[in-house]
Amino acid sequence: MLRRFIYSREGILSMIVLAMFLAVGTISPDFISVSNSISIFNDTSILIMLALGQMLVILTRCIDLSVAANVAFTGMVVAMVNQYFPTLNMFVLMLLALGIGAFLGAINGLFVWLLKVPSIVITLGTMSIYRGATFLLSDGAWVNSHQMSEAFIGLPRYEILSIPVLAWMAIITILLAFWTMKFSVWGRNFYSAGGNPMAAFYSGVNVGKVQFYAFLVSGTLAGLCGYLWVSRFAVAYVDVANGFELQVIAACVIGGVSIVGGLGTVVGCVIGALFIGVVNNALPIIGVSPFWQMAISGLVIIIAVVANASSDKDKARIILRKPEASVGSAPSQSH
Amino acid sequence: MKNKLITACVLASATLFASGAYAAEQVRVALLVKALGIGFFEAAYRGAEEAKKELGDVEIIYTGPTSTTAEGQIEIINSLIAQRVDAIAVSANDADALVPALKKAQQRGIKVISWDSGVGKEGRQIHLNPSSNSLIGEMNVQLAADAIKAKGKTSGTFAILSATPTSTNQNIWIGEMKNSLSQFPNLKLVDTVYGDDLADKSFREATALIKNHPDLDVIVAPTTVGILAAAQAVSDLGLTGKVYVTGLGLPSELAGHVHSGAIHSFAIWNPIDLGYSATMLAYNLVKGKGTKTEIPMGRMGTLQVDENGDGAMAKPFVYDESNVDEFSSIF
Amino acid sequence: MNKAIFSLKKVSKVFPGVKALDGVDLHLYPGQVTALLGENGAGKSTLVKTMTGIYQPDGGDIIFNGKPVQFHSPHDSHALGITAIHQETVLFDDLTVAENIFLGNYPMKKGPMTKYFSIDWSAMVTRSQDILSSINAHMDPNQILRELSIGQKHMVGIARALSVDAKVVILDEPTAALSHHEIHELYELVNTLKQQGKAILFITHKFDEIFALADRYTVFRDGCYVGEGFIKDTNEGQLVEMMVARSIAATYPKKDVEIGETLLEVSNLCHTTEFANISFSLKKGEILGVYGLVGSGRTEVMQALFGTTDHVTGTVKMNGKEVIIHSPKDAIENGIVYVPEERQKQGIVLELPIYQNISLPQMDRLAKHGNLDQESEMSLARQYCERLQVKASCWEEKVMNLSGGNQQKVVIAKWLATNPKVIILDEPTKGIDIGSKAAVHEFMSELVDSGLAVIMVSSELPEIMGMSDRILVMNEGLIVSELSRADATPEKVVSLATGGHVTC
Repeated sequence: MLRRFIYSREGILSMIVLAMFLAVGTISPDFISVSNSISIFNDTSILIMLALGQMLVILTRCIDLSVAANVAFTGMVVAMVNQYFPTLNMFVLMLLALGIGAFLGAINGLFVWLLKVPSIVITLGTMSIYRGATFLLSDGAWVNSHQMSEAFIGLPRYEILSIPVLAWMAIITILLAFWTMKFSVWGRNFYSAGGNPMAAFYSGVNVGKVQFYAFLVSGTLAGLCGYLWVSRFAVAYVDVANGFELQVIAACVIGGVSIVGGLGTVVGCVIGALFIGVVNNALPIIGVSPFWQMAISGLVIIIAVVANASSDKDKARIILRKPEASVGSAPSQSH
Repeated sequence: MKNKLITACVLASATLFASGAYAAEQVRVALLVKALGIGFFEAAYRGAEEAKKELGDVEIIYTGPTSTTAEGQIEIINSLIAQRVDAIAVSANDADALVPALKKAQQRGIKVISWDSGVGKEGRQIHLNPSSNSLIGEMNVQLAADAIKAKGKTSGTFAILSATPTSTNQNIWIGEMKNSLSQFPNLKLVDTVYGDDLADKSFREATALIKNHPDLDVIVAPTTVGILAAAQAVSDLGLTGKVYVTGLGLPSELAGHVHSGAIHSFAIWNPIDLGYSATMLAYNLVKGKGTKTEIPMGRMGTLQVDENGDGAMAKPFVYDESNVDEFSSIF
Repeated sequence: MNKAIFSLKKVSKVFPGVKALDGVDLHLYPGQVTALLGENGAGKSTLVKTMTGIYQPDGGDIIFNGKPVQFHSPHDSHALGITAIHQETVLFDDLTVAENIFLGNYPMKKGPMTKYFSIDWSAMVTRSQDILSSINAHMDPNQILRELSIGQKHMVGIARALSVDAKVVILDEPTAALSHHEIHELYELVNTLKQQGKAILFITHKFDEIFALADRYTVFRDGCYVGEGFIKDTNEGQLVEMMVARSIAATYPKKDVEIGETLLEVSNLCHTTEFANISFSLKKGEILGVYGLVGSGRTEVMQALFGTTDHVTGTVKMNGKEVIIHSPKDAIENGIVYVPEERQKQGIVLELPIYQNISLPQMDRLAKHGNLDQESEMSLARQYCERLQVKASCWEEKVMNLSGGNQQKVVIAKWLATNPKVIILDEPTKGIDIGSKAAVHEFMSELVDSGLAVIMVSSELPEIMGMSDRILVMNEGLIVSELSRADATPEKVVSLATGGHVTC
């Protein structure tokens, strides 16, 4: 089992992440301390959660570009609700965040499911709409830390066993996702609907509905992350998480989620997000020039995509080993 | 059909006449901002309204795109030209991109000034800096010195957390800060990092600064997202009082952190004054008041214009525990 | 006139496990139309691909103009003026007629440099005009293809094939997609080409076309040459006999199974465009063969039964009770499963392990409160994959790592595992080698023996004749006849399916 993991894509990737982590440790020993490791994980928590939602969407051959805008909108709503009703129970506020996120995700999903609009088109549209709605809602004004209640800011920072609630939420999401994708019918459907929509359809899977669920989950997680983001940085404004959807998609791609659907694991996706998290946290520590930082982040994504593309090529070679394709080898067999 | 056409013509000329008559009485000044809904510019608009009250015969058109893009501003400039305003006072999203459109406006007899964030010389008649770059640079270092004094130390170190490495304003101010360091022999600049005006990146950069420089006393962030994220990072690391954050930001956004103690003091020009001055200048240019080097701007005195058409309004204004609440309700 | 311009002599082509062409002969004469006859699987497509240089023969000679030639690529055969017009030619909807005709072979301007990068557009248009008028197709070469009718597009495809100086023209089922009027135009075109002295190979299933157009015929069966001659010396009966003659019963493992009570009753199934008035019944233990040419609506009917088609009216009864089937899920729950023709494309998820593919159609049944029980999934996979002898290192192996044949077995195992009452097999032996074919047939016998009912859709006549208890023959969306095993002769079935001259 262990041997298999080591040779899998997830195994190799986690090795790379670990190597990177230790290498930075040689420059700055504090980087690999327990407390800093927790803080890196905590810092990556939101990315992990969003990447897991995005993974479902990509598995079903779609893409959700609106996640970051969803984060901004939901974050703004909960921040404003908290501003005007500071005594409102955090549990209710959290449900509100989940609900709004789910609603925004459902809009994407319904367009894809019922109207068969390509997801890149619809989420490109809702990406702007959700951010525009954030602007209209807030009138461009910021909600700042002194306008937020103590509980609102304090919750993700509250530590249980020295680990902040924010990180615990990511851990719970990972466990739930792992269990769902491995052991539930619902999770399995994402793989079959994305791997071969035709075969899934013939097997009685409603592919459109599965895609809808993917967007619903992605939106719900984005809603939760909306609250977490706003609370973590103690500020809500229109440009919150601007461009973050690209990091989310990058985390999936690096983690081995195939952009053409059907392939990808929870473990891979989490490691992909951690990869970005470690890079993000390591670059300022080792003092790379800001211009190089951009280039390095870009390079990392390209390398991951190329690695994925070449593994897709392997896949194609195996598929083609059918009568038609074996023509080339036929003459040698006949002599 | 013919009748309808004639009616339309009559109506159109009537409207034209009416607006012409209106323009003769009212000076129409467009206050074009980087984007709508930003607290800073909303405050500038209040200042413009104050100038309007004082002057009487001014109409303020407060406008801007929904996001900070040069394209959006160009579109608005073109529509302002079509509306035949008398003056445009612009805070530009791009120093060069707006120049052609503003040139066109000037050719149509519209007076153009830029304020806060300027445009190229050909694009405007004068540029009103809220302050001068050297005054801002000096103020930022002064703030760092104040924070170190608040810690009870006589000398110390500071680092700069900027926006993007390509941001012109930021780079000029950082240059000026370095220039004015000679006046503060007890201060040492140890690092300059960039948070790209993104909350998460700024937060990480601030955290890394503190880790990389254990003896760091002050983080100076001359940008709002940066100063907020740095203040939050300091609170989260439990270093309030050990590391101070300062720089430029709005009282409404920073009041919480001033109270928590992460920020001792910070500065910003008074945007109300800025909007007021920009309106006054635009009005006076339309009315032909003032000379090539000196233009009056009401209660803010007289703007000294240099050979490039630039002028500085005043020194940035310092906010701390004593006055932040008073201003935080304003902007 | 009687000297062949193009000949194949003792040409063979072997694929792993299959001898697609076994020493076949073919002769084409200038100014004459030769019809190539043979059932599906007789080797016609392989022959066309060998003639056009897509396949290289493993034995025998290709003679062109009296000289032996070798085609290493389609380019070689093209250069000699051998060109093929396929059933569906790949054309570009957004390009003009002229661009489509000359795509990849644009006429260039003549200058020393311009000949490398400057297309001579006016020459292209004039030459398109010439080619189009030579085949009596009147259209503007500058028109965008999208605006043309299907028949006109077909003419563009033909013009494209003739844009090289064609000497040998292969027409591979050219009328399959055409309307009556367009077919008539095509006949005229063939006569025009004939008068221009081109040698024509005409491949079709329709006897009326053969007798209307061809001068000669050549018959293949199972990759072997059967015979040739002049059309005027033969008749339909003779040709059918040459195509199908063989001892059928000997090679098919048909078991005598007791036929039980009626299981499935379909009455008056109609679709707006694909089929109408489809009524039939199916009994327990029975194999119902459905025969028809490609495009006769047989697959569409089966897909409608499986709930994948909208706009279907009519009733379906299982065990005497009416069932409503709107989706594959409904069908599976009612015990009807459909194994599609394109098994890889429609049947399996390559990225998933074998056992997850097996459980795919019945995850709800296997799961408890939405939670999958991996143990029961695995035991199901073990049971059915072992029964079908799927060769894999373990059942967690991803399907993409299996050979094509084993992938097919996984598809069938998947459907069997749902424990169906009626299993519809669409072209169950298409694309698999002879050895595996026998296994599939044996397996079908086992299925009915174990109490299932099978509907077998096939365009392979021997299979239909050999395995079916009853045969439905379809033509143009209608069931034209229902034959019992005793009544059915290959001749009858073929002529019914091709437009029906034999009365029952």
